[in-house]
Amino acid sequence: MENFSEVLALFLSVDNFLAIAAGVLVGVVVGAIPGLTATMAVALALPFTFSMEPVTAILLLVGIYKGGMYGGSITAILIRTPGSPASACTLLDGYPMAQQGKAKKALKTALYSSVVADMISNVALIFFASYLAKIALNFGPPEYFWLICFSLTIIVSVSGSSVVKGLIAAGLGIIVSTIGLDAVYGTQRLTFDNYNLMDRVSFIPLLIGLFAIPEVIEFYTSKVAPHIRTAVSGASLTWKEFKGLLKTIVRGSVIGVIIGAIPGTGATSAAFISYSEAKRTSPRKANFGKGEVEGVAAAESGNNGVAGATLIPLLSLGIPGDVITAIILGAFMIHGLTPGPVLFQENLTLVYALFCGIMVSSFVLVFVGNAAIRYFSLIADIPKTILLPIVLMFCIYGAYAVNNSTFDIGLMLAFGVLGFVFNRTGIAAAPFLIGFILGPMFEDNLRRTMLISKGDLSIFFRGPITWVFILLTVASLIFAIRRYWVARKEDALA
Amino acid sequence: MLKFVKSRVRNKFLYALTAVSLSCGGLVQADEWPEDNIRLVVPYSAGGTTDLLSRKVADLLQKELTTVVVENRPGAGSTVATGQLARGGRGSDHMLLMASPGHTIGASLYPNLRYDPVADFAFVRNVINIPNVMVVPGDSPYNTVAEFVEAARKQEMSFSSPGIGSSVHMSGELFKNLTQTQLVHVPFRGSGEALPALLSGDVDVAFENMPTVYPHIQSGKLKALAVTTPSASEFLPDVPTMQDAGKGYGLETYETSAWFGLIAHKSFPEEGMVKLQAALDKVMAGEEFTKFLPQFGAEAGTVVGDDFRQFVQGEVQKWSDVAEKANLKR
Repeated sequence: MENFSEVLALFLSVDNFLAIAAGVLVGVVVGAIPGLTATMAVALALPFTFSMEPVTAILLLVGIYKGGMYGGSITAILIRTPGSPASACTLLDGYPMAQQGKAKKALKTALYSSVVADMISNVALIFFASYLAKIALNFGPPEYFWLICFSLTIIVSVSGSSVVKGLIAAGLGIIVSTIGLDAVYGTQRLTFDNYNLMDRVSFIPLLIGLFAIPEVIEFYTSKVAPHIRTAVSGASLTWKEFKGLLKTIVRGSVIGVIIGAIPGTGATSAAFISYSEAKRTSPRKANFGKGEVEGVAAAESGNNGVAGATLIPLLSLGIPGDVITAIILGAFMIHGLTPGPVLFQENLTLVYALFCGIMVSSFVLVFVGNAAIRYFSLIADIPKTILLPIVLMFCIYGAYAVNNSTFDIGLMLAFGVLGFVFNRTGIAAAPFLIGFILGPMFEDNLRRTMLISKGDLSIFFRGPITWVFILLTVASLIFAIRRYWVARKEDALA
Repeated sequence: MLKFVKSRVRNKFLYALTAVSLSCGGLVQADEWPEDNIRLVVPYSAGGTTDLLSRKVADLLQKELTTVVVENRPGAGSTVATGQLARGGRGSDHMLLMASPGHTIGASLYPNLRYDPVADFAFVRNVINIPNVMVVPGDSPYNTVAEFVEAARKQEMSFSSPGIGSSVHMSGELFKNLTQTQLVHVPFRGSGEALPALLSGDVDVAFENMPTVYPHIQSGKLKALAVTTPSASEFLPDVPTMQDAGKGYGLETYETSAWFGLIAHKSFPEEGMVKLQAALDKVMAGEEFTKFLPQFGAEAGTVVGDDFRQFVQGEVQKWSDVAEKANLKR
């Protein structure tokens, strides 16, 4: 009990609450602006935390992280421009909803799914950190390999009308992902001696180009008067609807937690896996991709479930799962703290004070998110003739800002044209994105596995985790093929 | 029309006059370096070790001189930003770059770079050094460098790194080279991915940066066999240096570390250099800096000016040889 009062004494300070509020607010705003990522915001905020108390400093950074995770969905829904990579999945249904005048419902769904997922993720962090950390440590290259194989099967469910077209898009994504230095030998692949391509194609320009630019081109090339979007004053999310979504949200959160606890997999994969699972089990399968509220809930709960869970390997093992947690690790070190088992032994009070703050940040997200919806929604009222040039400007700025590289602007525009061609030919862009993200992971882990085992294939079946993912992969493929045949039969009958 | 042209010409003269007078103003003030904000370019993305260290140094340096603006310009290792600095141009008299092992390793791996890592730059000073540590999993059967080398000569072993061309990778290649052992390099993307493979024993050894592995050495999950610097580290006083532990195994000259230092364009004003070095001396002697170092398992840099240049020259030579032998030249 004495400890408890110490924790409260450490946590209950005005500074901490201010840090959380400021962090979440900055995160949401930055996350919503394409090209400004939560990663950049966390990195830029870091020097300001040098002079703060350790708990305050880390809560500020965690606040930005969590806010950014949600913020990305706002522009994804409203203008089809994902503010962060993880929200690319949210726009699959969020943007069609906005076009149907249901932007408010989509935004609220995204917010509340995010908040619930965030809380579940926090609870997992607080209560199951040590178990999940053990699983994470058992994740070697062969386990990753099978996890990626399983993730690749989701291409089928985000392929839209045609699986073949989806596979083509995914293949193209994988080809683009191979540009750059080979990870094992360091040879240049498809770089054409251009040093801008040596570090692989940058992610943000690709993302913005693929999703936002086609809308702009579409607007200026179509002769038909563009669909005028109704303002956001439309219906909000009702409690009854929310209850209906709860199962999807909880499932998405759990997927997010598991993916988040494994270093290096990332929120984007979690969002897509959650989306794919929701689609597979939903009675309204056919409506996915056309403005299905469940799709938004699945995507957002998947990516926000990751936010608390990435702190699991960080706090319990000292292993950062992504770039943001790597920066937060830096913040710990600057304050003379080393995350890992030692932290729990020597600074338990501090750890629990952090947990309190992280829980509070979820509640803060509700308020900040609602305010953000109110103001960002104004975007939807702007006539397209004015809005789209502004979007284009932001796209260009965003593509440039990530690496301060003008080359990336060209890259973004090139992907914009590709995205437009995709739109016109009925090829879904999501499989391209998945191929681009998962392709390198697949290759890297396959090659790492072979290097570690010195060519012995039995390593692929070395333990329970590999078997779990092998079975999941096979099951997912069987489901996909069966669904494909059923759909074909129905088409033939119709 | 004539009137217009005349007015244009007159205007042009006026502009020229203004420009000349302004630049004269500049000349008059030339002994007052810095005349502008200092830009410190970090050739990696925000959030990495180089970024973190640079921001701290910038923060301390601006208390001594003038505002220091940190700019991240990642790309192709560190070669994009470094290439830009080498080209010089406007503003390069107030531009610094935080160079690290990537500066010399990049030059040894990619001979087609459009700059010379030594001749094209002015060398301010080496600010921070972080030793690498040779670590094996906690349950590894090897307890000394000698035992490890003996075993690695009999069977193939693997070492992990956060990526090809990193100082961690090249430290491993150097080890392999000097000891004539069979080590397979298993590259990961970043230490966050590399570390679990080492902790779980999927790879046999790594030559990781001190701050990455220090907590795991303390908790017993990793065993430190040697530090890669010529003298023992104050963080791991009981761990021998590679040069001592590897006597008789070809490691007598083994030395690597992750070094960080400020470099500038070769035309950097002499006066600025003197002022910068003085300011850095002050910063590095200060309490805030000395307190900051241990959090990164780091030590204060030692070499300044021409000594720093010679150090970098030596590094380029060393890595070039290693890259040659490991067939890494591209």
